[in-house]
Amino acid sequence: MERVRRPRSAWPGPRLISVLVGGVAAAFVLYPIGFLIQASLSVGDPQARPPEAYGLENFTDLPRYAHIFWNTLVVAVVATVLAIGFGFVMGWILSRTNVPGRGVLEQFMALPYYVTPLMGALAWSLIGSPSGGFLNQVWRALGGEGHLIDMNTPYGIAWVMALFEGSVAFVMIGAVMKSMDPSLEEASQVLGAGRARTMLRITLPLVLPGVLGAAIFVFAEMLGSFSAALVLGLPSRFYVVTTAMYQLISQYPPRFPTAAAMGVCLSAVMFAMVYVYRRIVSARSYVTITGKAYRPRAMNVGRLRFVLLGVCLGYLGIAVVLPLITIVYASFQRLATAFPRADNFTLANYATALSLDAVRSALWNSLVLGFGTASIGILLMGFLSWMIYRSRLPGAGVIEYLLMFPQAVPRLVFAFGMLWAWLIFPIPIYGTLWLLLIAYLTVFLPLGLRTISGVMLQIDRTLEESAQMCGASWGYRMRTVTMPLLRPGLVAAWLLLFIASVRELGASILLMGPKAKVITPAIVESWFSTSTELTAAMALIQTLAVAAALALLFAVARRATQLPGE
Amino acid sequence: MTHDEAAAIAVKDLVIRYGRITAVRGVTFSVGAGEHLTLLGPSGCGKTTTLRAIAGLEQPESGEIRIDGTLVFAPGIHVPAERRGLSMVFQSYAIWPHMTVFDNVAYGLRVRRVAEREVRERVRSALDLVKLGDLGERSAARLSGGQQQRVALARAFVFSPSVLLFDEPLSNLDAKLRAEMRVELKELQRRIGITSVYVTHDLEEALAISDRIVVMRDGVIEQIGTSAEIYDRPRNTFVADFVGSANLIRGRRRLDLERDGMIVLETAAGALVHGAAYGRRAGAEALFAIRTVHLRLGRERPAGTLNVWAARVRRRVFQGDLTQYHLDWDDREIVVRCTTVDPLSEGDPAFVSVEPRHCVLLEE
Repeated sequence: MERVRRPRSAWPGPRLISVLVGGVAAAFVLYPIGFLIQASLSVGDPQARPPEAYGLENFTDLPRYAHIFWNTLVVAVVATVLAIGFGFVMGWILSRTNVPGRGVLEQFMALPYYVTPLMGALAWSLIGSPSGGFLNQVWRALGGEGHLIDMNTPYGIAWVMALFEGSVAFVMIGAVMKSMDPSLEEASQVLGAGRARTMLRITLPLVLPGVLGAAIFVFAEMLGSFSAALVLGLPSRFYVVTTAMYQLISQYPPRFPTAAAMGVCLSAVMFAMVYVYRRIVSARSYVTITGKAYRPRAMNVGRLRFVLLGVCLGYLGIAVVLPLITIVYASFQRLATAFPRADNFTLANYATALSLDAVRSALWNSLVLGFGTASIGILLMGFLSWMIYRSRLPGAGVIEYLLMFPQAVPRLVFAFGMLWAWLIFPIPIYGTLWLLLIAYLTVFLPLGLRTISGVMLQIDRTLEESAQMCGASWGYRMRTVTMPLLRPGLVAAWLLLFIASVRELGASILLMGPKAKVITPAIVESWFSTSTELTAAMALIQTLAVAAALALLFAVARRATQLPGE
Repeated sequence: MTHDEAAAIAVKDLVIRYGRITAVRGVTFSVGAGEHLTLLGPSGCGKTTTLRAIAGLEQPESGEIRIDGTLVFAPGIHVPAERRGLSMVFQSYAIWPHMTVFDNVAYGLRVRRVAEREVRERVRSALDLVKLGDLGERSAARLSGGQQQRVALARAFVFSPSVLLFDEPLSNLDAKLRAEMRVELKELQRRIGITSVYVTHDLEEALAISDRIVVMRDGVIEQIGTSAEIYDRPRNTFVADFVGSANLIRGRRRLDLERDGMIVLETAAGALVHGAAYGRRAGAEALFAIRTVHLRLGRERPAGTLNVWAARVRRRVFQGDLTQYHLDWDDREIVVRCTTVDPLSEGDPAFVSVEPRHCVLLEE
């Protein structure tokens, strides 16, 4: 008789769960996109759902909006050039020269990213709006005519976006510069080429693919950016594709099909960009990153290094300190003005903001949503990235591709698809926080997956396999080996998801219901309908609330994770 | 080997595919209870894949794997690794950096819900056995390569698995430590008396540690035998070449000179070589393998008449314990390695001789 041990729960279990979770997650991504495309093809009554008739008229009609596409292109190109300029200069200074305080400065370079485009736009609007901007007030006080700068222009929008994206470009370009094998340059010098020649013939060509990749990535992000263009562009009726879409959807009567067609076009372009970016990045990784550990040689630039330090501090000042100070300053004034007067200072804005039920509930909702998104997110995305990179499930690659899809779709566009998709969904979650939770979990899939899988790929597969060989079941080794090793990635992902959710605008502004508001759209509403000073106070309260929540969580988490033996 | 249901492990007609690549193509062997078997071969020969299939970490395409007579793999059956009752030492050691040494070793016992008091006792004796008795409370992240190796070993045998699998466990150590660990591993194998399957590409390691060796190439088995059999009587050119260096001599059969079961070949240039068939069959043409260390070299013609040839030293390479001579012999080059006493100079005439039993007929 043969003793046959048939596989019971342990093997097909995770497999079945993987297929289910992966499939459901992919469906969540594809479902709204399907509706977006359906809406873009609807040519009957624009309000009819499902569409009465299908056709391509919405697309063939788009040339009427050529100026909006042109606007988008101008803003994106200018902002990309500026951002890559910032990123390249900072990347070069901080990875290749002996500028003082490199380590600390490098950490600080992440800060502009946390000053969101919305904060930046509010601040720079206070600084540089043509009539009331602080800088223009000073200009006129000094006897100037009209205004010195005008932020309510494409260049103003590009400026704010570039300060923000400069930090992203720095991370990407800095990584390339750091990973370059210095012996390649040394070889050139040994063979008799001077420093300038080496820079031109060796260094530049080597980092060029990385710079190009960063440029494409930043450009794609710019195409889909929303908040800065909304805050700075709306007063002067300057529209880019995302703000035009928002206008088409929120006007009366709304013109959904046209907006959908715009969204489809924008996503198609961004999708192509992201595709090209991934091609460049994967091709490059074979060239400059050899896996050898080396520290690139820092060039001794003599006294110039203090100038370079000034450049770095200047960027941080303009991108972080100035906007924050401006908003703080404005939030304590009755009427925002460049010239401080004792009787103009007040705490009333904070009192008002905190007493408004709408603000309080919106803030509370946002924090709850952030907590929910981050907590569910790390479980979901942790599992998904395990499934994609570890389980060797057939079709994992396809699922990865689908889950990364939201990266190529602006959140506003994605939310528009969701708006339609979930309106007809039999379970009534439309207008509730649940819809926002689903939206956040979907649009932040790429963010969470990238963060967690970055750590997961560093964990050698045999660490899990050896637990398996010790006889541990799937659940046991997840709990005792995989999760603990993944903890840094999970913590980082939690924080990023929390911050991103609380500050989310593009999806929230379309999806939040009148009885379930969240804070960022409330800030934008306040900007357009109440006072600048109150808005500044609200923006600061949001920032402080995020900081306080994080500090609290850190304290709790530290106590909870202090296990014996560590 | 015959397919034996009483064996600790029996692998039959195993085929493993990765996408379009077939890593293992029809491998059959078995491991007796208490035996130490080694899978030996160059990288990419399928030895690690075979081991991982036995472990349950790879799912084969077809074939059968039995452990203690129980079918753990056959088409439609795949018992997961954690329920096969085996254990494994990984090439990377796979020591969990977030645990102490003690917790690493205790893992398999705790999985099996062994009482904590017994866990402590068994972990301590396992750590003593690998000479890490006082390191239990240290964080596993702060161990040297050799220490990690020992922890991995202790963790693998502490819960008394039925079979211990080794995936090139010594390949990440430096040469000196590797030689030390080889001896220790053999000692340990004897003390815990456990069945083991060992994978390596290192010949010396295989010869030192195994009762039997399975030589693999390109996903198939080239030869199975004891260490001595593999070394002294390689079955074909691949094994002869892989298992230490050998001279290959091709020639035409001289049936008229053959007697006492000896095979006689005449090379193209006319030299007569007497060798042994070891039960293998030869056609009209055949091939002998002669280990470089089995050839003798001297200034004087040695006694006897079989397999003695005149030659001339073309190049001498000093290698420490041995000296390697490249000789002009029979219109070709022949390589001899011998101990370095009374060295011959380049250009010197010399006599080369070899006992017929060391001229091994190869299968083709």
